[in-house]
Amino acid sequence: MAIAIGGIGQSVKRKEDARFIRGRGNYVDDVKLPGMLYLDIARSPYAHARIKSIDTSKALAIPGVLAVITGKDLVPLKLEWMPTLMSDRQMVLPTDTVLYQAQEVAAVVATERYIAADGVAAIEVDYEPLPVVVDPIKALQPGATLVREDREQKDNHIWHWEVGDKAGTDKAFADAEVVVKQDLYIPRIHVSSIETCGIVASFDKIEGKLTVYMTTQAPHAIRTVIALVAGHLGLAEHKIRVISPDIGGGFGGKVPVYPGYVLAIGASVLTGVPVKWIEDRAENIQADSFARDYHISAELAAKKDGTMQALRVKTIADHGAFDAAANPSKYPAGLFHIITGSYPFQKSFVEVDGAYTNKPPGGIAYRCSFRVTEAAFTIERLVDVLALEIKKDPAELRMQNFIPPTAFPYKSVLGWEYDSGDYGRALKLAMDTIGYAELRKEQAEKRKRGELMGIGISSFTEIVGAGPSKDFDILGIKMFDSAEIRVHPTGKVMVRIGVKSQGQGHETTFGQIVAEELGIPVADIAVEEGDTDTAPYGLGTYASRSTPVAGGATAIAARKIREKAKLIAAHLLEANPDDIEWKDYKFQVKGVPTKSKTMQEIAFAAYTNHPQGMEAGLEAVDYYDPPNLTFPFGSYICVVDIDRGTGVVKIRRFVAVDDCGTIINPMIVEGQIHGGLTMGLAPALYEEINYDKDGNIQGSNFMDYLLPTAMETPNWETAKTTTPSPHHPIGAKGVGESATVGAPAAIANAVVDALAHLGVRHIDIPITPWKVQKILKDNGVAE
Amino acid sequence: MRFEGKLDIDAPRDRVWSFLTDPAQVTTCAPDVQSLEVTDPRHFKVVVRAGVGPIKGTFSMNVEFTELQEPGHASVVARGQAPGSAVEMVSNMDLAEFDETHTLMEWSSEVTVSGMIQQVGARLMQGAADKITQQVFACIKAKLEAPVTA
Repeated sequence: MAIAIGGIGQSVKRKEDARFIRGRGNYVDDVKLPGMLYLDIARSPYAHARIKSIDTSKALAIPGVLAVITGKDLVPLKLEWMPTLMSDRQMVLPTDTVLYQAQEVAAVVATERYIAADGVAAIEVDYEPLPVVVDPIKALQPGATLVREDREQKDNHIWHWEVGDKAGTDKAFADAEVVVKQDLYIPRIHVSSIETCGIVASFDKIEGKLTVYMTTQAPHAIRTVIALVAGHLGLAEHKIRVISPDIGGGFGGKVPVYPGYVLAIGASVLTGVPVKWIEDRAENIQADSFARDYHISAELAAKKDGTMQALRVKTIADHGAFDAAANPSKYPAGLFHIITGSYPFQKSFVEVDGAYTNKPPGGIAYRCSFRVTEAAFTIERLVDVLALEIKKDPAELRMQNFIPPTAFPYKSVLGWEYDSGDYGRALKLAMDTIGYAELRKEQAEKRKRGELMGIGISSFTEIVGAGPSKDFDILGIKMFDSAEIRVHPTGKVMVRIGVKSQGQGHETTFGQIVAEELGIPVADIAVEEGDTDTAPYGLGTYASRSTPVAGGATAIAARKIREKAKLIAAHLLEANPDDIEWKDYKFQVKGVPTKSKTMQEIAFAAYTNHPQGMEAGLEAVDYYDPPNLTFPFGSYICVVDIDRGTGVVKIRRFVAVDDCGTIINPMIVEGQIHGGLTMGLAPALYEEINYDKDGNIQGSNFMDYLLPTAMETPNWETAKTTTPSPHHPIGAKGVGESATVGAPAAIANAVVDALAHLGVRHIDIPITPWKVQKILKDNGVAE
Repeated sequence: MRFEGKLDIDAPRDRVWSFLTDPAQVTTCAPDVQSLEVTDPRHFKVVVRAGVGPIKGTFSMNVEFTELQEPGHASVVARGQAPGSAVEMVSNMDLAEFDETHTLMEWSSEVTVSGMIQQVGARLMQGAADKITQQVFACIKAKLEAPVTA
């Protein structure tokens, strides 16, 4: 029965794959409207320069070029600046100064994509180069080059944020038997989704209606932002329709509003003709929101026996030229204060300072659920530093300190209430699966022979599912999410949700939630999302929030339907509603299984034979405000071998034990974990965006920015424990980012473990062969 | 990036000087010149095609002789752009009279490249610059050492 329904816990094949594997997905670049024009963008070669003049005459002389837009053209429209999601503002186009390389400088609208590019090449800009600051630590020093002349505050400091008990933490450190300290740099990386960003804006001058097809993870919020930013141009929210079609990967990079979107919308509103803008790969990686770029200094105080007592963390966050991160308003450093991780610290103090530099803006997530990756990496690396300091096995040190399962719900010292967890169980399963004790023996033998092998652990705790309205909003909009379910007379179902899949498989998993709640086969349930004209309002999909928030809304909306269905069942069965029970996906008279009604029978009755006095139809809406966040966790163990000749790190085995609470679709969860682990491998060993002193990006293409391919990716071994969230309607916690959050520390810890006997305590990621080989050479063990 | 070098030219210093400080003459040795527009004796605009590895661009360069101390010393600042890239070059040249028919040129250039060419072609830049430099100086030498044709 369960398999026929395809409810919760079933590996139902992904419905959306029928079109994806046939190449029949409908992405924004597949949208082609009659008479559509194309927009392309001229970008600054300089990281900081004054624009002395822009000569557009040669571009305008090219047949097919219809318009060239510069910052000065936007001034009368009051569109040269736009607000960011973090209450800063960002240039749409500069009127006098560019602040980072590849910043948008002018836009060309043409009849063809190639002509638009020719137009861009023909624009002549006279720049006067200005001094550049790319290092946030230098940017915060007195006398540093000022990035943002437009601000009243004449330095590069954006904000200071802190949490915890400073005095108490300082005292704990002063009194501690053991203190370890580690500086870590978590480099700037890029989401590099396979599909770049793009838009087709289509303004109907007669109706005054704007339709926008856009690669956005948050279509409803975008609609509101358009109405707020361009309201003075006559755009009103009821005449704005945002459609987020199929999306080829988002990972947080498709949450913000980019200048190209505004320019395309503006061009369409002015011309009344559809305008398409699709960025190319180099533009995407150079100018779109980046992730990470945290300079962290972390200290841990403990007893000699390894009992962890206090944590003190100071961080400088590089936000580039504009603070265009997408964090909840109250938390400019995201949920970084999950940094106490899986351990019951008594005292903790965390502070973060944001800095402007001549680099592209952002500071968004990258499958990191609001800076959780930075936090998990820091604490899990620091625990290993402590293990080395007190010469204790890192697994034993973790087991000794974990928050015990009996302590949940657990209130962390920095203010979170962890919903549920059993960290020891997950680590033990990982150790048993990988054969931890045997590996340690092997390592000791190999070390005697001079061979380099390391074992690394990461026992991370995540925080996802933002979030409860009392604490969580973006631009003031509370971070609830929504579902609307309609059961049609023939028992088929339409589900519309406020989130938006970028590959996560919502059409399948949200159907499974409804199937489970209503007893209707998942094949009979259609899930729609991403069209603001039809879907209920929601804040979108990022930070692993779809299942925790919209999943809750979906379950509750389905339960509202079931409540009404029960009354109809009682009517049809001529029984008292109190005598009706929901069993085996049917309503039946208690103790009389032969007297039952299926949901399909009830649906038909809801339109044909509903009780007098009851509204006809069978549908429900829910706007779900989660009572708390969810706290997925896991334990990963990585085994590496290091080539003493080349310094290359080879991952021999990687066991990932995840606990994301109730699992809706095991196959999809496993897929999420595989993808997430690969995205965790990437920054650990390969990915980094650097800038030279002049602000030239060193990693603007896939020759220089190293995404792992199938060649580099090891065979991931996955396993699970299940500790449901007690507050979530179906007990699910979300899994979209767990592996990305947990994996980097396991890999880095394994490499450090392989080299620890040489005195190595830490290596900043990405751990490239060059870095490893230098360590080997310095220690005289290179081959 | 800084480049520098020395060049022996079998030609009198005055001739070398007038060749190297005349936009029309000196640009005949620049790589792939598309056009030249002389504004005044100290300023000219030249469009050249140059490439580094896979990236090729048409650079529109504004050139200014910032110092002209005849017959021995000149400084030139050239600034220009190709789509997505920008280049700035500050060059110095000193001519020493070895004897009446031989001149020793010492030169140096400080080159700053920004944008696409720097990003994609940085590791190829040195090789490409060396190649262009060799071609330019071989050309200068050949032209100056050729017999004077009235």
